[in-house]
Amino acid sequence: MDEFTIGVLTNIGLISFIALSAYLLLIAGELSFGQQAFFGVGAYAAGILTAIYGWPLPLAALGAMTCGAAAALLVGLPTLRLRGLYFAMATLAAAEMFRILFELFHFQRAIDGDLVGPDGTQGFRGIRWIFEHGIEPIHFLALVWALLAAAVIAFVLLERSRLGATLRATGLDPELAASVGVPILRVKLGVVAAAGALAALGGALFAHHNTYIEPRNFDIMLGVHSLAYALIGGLGTAFGPLLGVALDIGVLESTRFFHGYRMIVFGGLVAILLALRPRGLLDERFVHRIGAVFSRHGAARR
Amino acid sequence: MIADLLQNSLDGLAQGSSYALLAVGFTLIFGVLRQVNLSYGPAIMAGCYAATWTHLHFGAGLISLALIAIAGAVLAGAYVERLCFAPHRRAGAGSAVGSPVAAMVASFALWMQFEEAATVLLPKHLYAFPPLYSGAPLTFGPFFLRIEALVTLAAAIAICALLAWILWRTRFGLAVRAVIESQRAAELAGINVPWVFVRVFALASAIGGVAGYLVVATHGQITPMLGMWSTLKGMLAMMLGGLGSLPGAVLGGLVLGMIEVHSQWYLGPQSRDLIAYLLLFVLLALRPAGLWPARTQG
Amino acid sequence: MSAVLLQIENLVTAYGKIEALKGVSLEVAQGKITCLLGPNGAGKTTLMFTTAGILKPKAGSIRLAGEEIAGKAPHAIVERGIALVPENRLVFPHMTVLENLQAGAYQRSNRDEIEGDIEKMFARFPRLKERSAQEGGTLSGGEQQMLSVARALMSRPKLLLMDEPSLGLAPLVIEEIFRIVSELHRDGATIFLVEQNAHMALKLAHHFYLMEQGKVTFSGDRGSLAEDEVIRRAYLGTARS
Repeated sequence: MDEFTIGVLTNIGLISFIALSAYLLLIAGELSFGQQAFFGVGAYAAGILTAIYGWPLPLAALGAMTCGAAAALLVGLPTLRLRGLYFAMATLAAAEMFRILFELFHFQRAIDGDLVGPDGTQGFRGIRWIFEHGIEPIHFLALVWALLAAAVIAFVLLERSRLGATLRATGLDPELAASVGVPILRVKLGVVAAAGALAALGGALFAHHNTYIEPRNFDIMLGVHSLAYALIGGLGTAFGPLLGVALDIGVLESTRFFHGYRMIVFGGLVAILLALRPRGLLDERFVHRIGAVFSRHGAARR
Repeated sequence: MIADLLQNSLDGLAQGSSYALLAVGFTLIFGVLRQVNLSYGPAIMAGCYAATWTHLHFGAGLISLALIAIAGAVLAGAYVERLCFAPHRRAGAGSAVGSPVAAMVASFALWMQFEEAATVLLPKHLYAFPPLYSGAPLTFGPFFLRIEALVTLAAAIAICALLAWILWRTRFGLAVRAVIESQRAAELAGINVPWVFVRVFALASAIGGVAGYLVVATHGQITPMLGMWSTLKGMLAMMLGGLGSLPGAVLGGLVLGMIEVHSQWYLGPQSRDLIAYLLLFVLLALRPAGLWPARTQG
Repeated sequence: MSAVLLQIENLVTAYGKIEALKGVSLEVAQGKITCLLGPNGAGKTTLMFTTAGILKPKAGSIRLAGEEIAGKAPHAIVERGIALVPENRLVFPHMTVLENLQAGAYQRSNRDEIEGDIEKMFARFPRLKERSAQEGGTLSGGEQQMLSVARALMSRPKLLLMDEPSLGLAPLVIEEIFRIVSELHRDGATIFLVEQNAHMALKLAHHFYLMEQGKVTFSGDRGSLAEDEVIRRAYLGTARS
């Protein structure tokens, strides 16, 4: 596989984390414009842990996820009772605050004669753990996708479990769910924290792949894009957001054909697609039908 | 000290006037369609870019440019309405379960289109825009007021008065208010609701076009960031004032302007946005209905 | 035999996969009061909404004075002369009583006629006249019902649909509502009325239908079924064998 393809596939994997993060909130019935904040928190946290404190990447990733969950709770607790657009705007405001804080954040240490660490708007360069440990791009790609696969498997298991059903029920009709005893506020908090951790993991990997991050990476565009990926790919399954990311980044990167016009074309296609399929490509109806095909096959074999 | 406070308040009101107009347009669309239109700002930007292009190639006067900006915004807005919102109307029985987010995400897709179209049309990141007024500001006592600020304030007042007249003194306004209060009751009363949507979109886009033109003509420059910026300011001001409330939109816009100018003065430029977002966050956590809540039902 | 004003044939309306109307057929005669009874969930409101254009049918036909109107937009239906007084009234809560009435006349253009009709509404419903500058949401339940009826009448409909006008109202108020329905009929209106209050409805109706689980299960004139039998079936449905 050539370097270019590896790069594209890695990018797809990285962005899928934040798309899955937005998806998790969506199926629980909440709209978030702000998952990019936790992606950023994860990136900065992991970067600081490896580049300044010399932690190994796996530990740093765990640290990043913890920070991401904590940051998410910081946002999620005061806004726990907010719903719909109110919650969405609160996440937007919070995410922008994080981004501005990243711009104001200076934390540099001298490591081997160089100044390493976040430098406000100048960004954070030198997150070189991957290169210092001789990890080839293809290995990193495998790592990203292995972790992503683990996340997707977790989602699939969740969907089949009672918790997953509870989640979707809460998403579709919170009053009904509450009336049958679902502790919707606790569910929401759990989802918010989990989504934050997931986004942070993606951010941690992102920081190490790029070796340089800056506050601009974590702006509203990333957040709205993630939401869009989740919806375009489809809300029926965790593969939906992945499909959304792959379509955008895959199509974007490979259609040099449309150079300079690709957003015009892609944007139009997305709008048309959504008019025809409001819940995305892999929506619940589609997933249900696929499931029915498989269970028919299973039944036939008995 | 007091002089600074008053001067900043004046500036804040002027700045806030354009925010108020943006918020009013955004609120009109939200109040009637119950949807967030992420292409609101980008459609305004499209109009302003059309005006910029015209100026670059034909050198038009201020009034003509304003009209082009408004017309462009209305056309762009109509495109958004047709492609993003008309297909996602609360469909009748028998259709697929819709998604309340789908129209909004579709409007995001068009936002991307508008941004790219702007850079295709005018590839440089920044273009000069003929300023509203190049002379010295008016002075009275220790205070000064730029002419552009005065024009913006006056325009905002005029447009709000016009909007109030439309809503309370015309048949169309009655229909708009009816749809805002209860779309179903409006349908039953024989109001052609889809047609109301189209006209409200045009009105909101026109108001936004005026706001956008004033912003761009005041700063003397235009960038593709105008789209996202306008939407953000409109949304922020709308939430501050109270979701879905028109008086709230005006109040929210003015308050936002004041907050920005004052925090920039006392705490430096980076604090400006930080304080505004912090205020919104705290407000949402404590009093989500906003500063001047809407009385309408969902 | 009066002429048939509204003819519904094999109407099917579905919510996604679930069919709420499974092939409904009925007729409303000109100048008469026709009543639709049935237990909750039978599909009566779905039928009203489909006739008024709020819902689109999947199949079947609705003909008003011979013209096919199934699937048309709600404002087009009002244009052709059908007005629905919905369940739960749905007055405009923050618009005044006067504005509510003006909204009902939205499609009409003759200012003088509209004002004349508003005066007539005030004469028929004096309490609305007292409260003409008050916001719709501040009215009592009974007054809101009257406002809802008056608003529907402002479009000068050929056919008035009423969905559960007595819902949630005190007995005295219910009597008043039904008195008004009687009056309207005396003045020549054709009324298609959905009611849970079978006792009152049967007093008024010239013809009635019973609907259960999306289909019409019985049709008859006043007196064709003993009242207690009708009430039983309306509230409890037919016993399944």
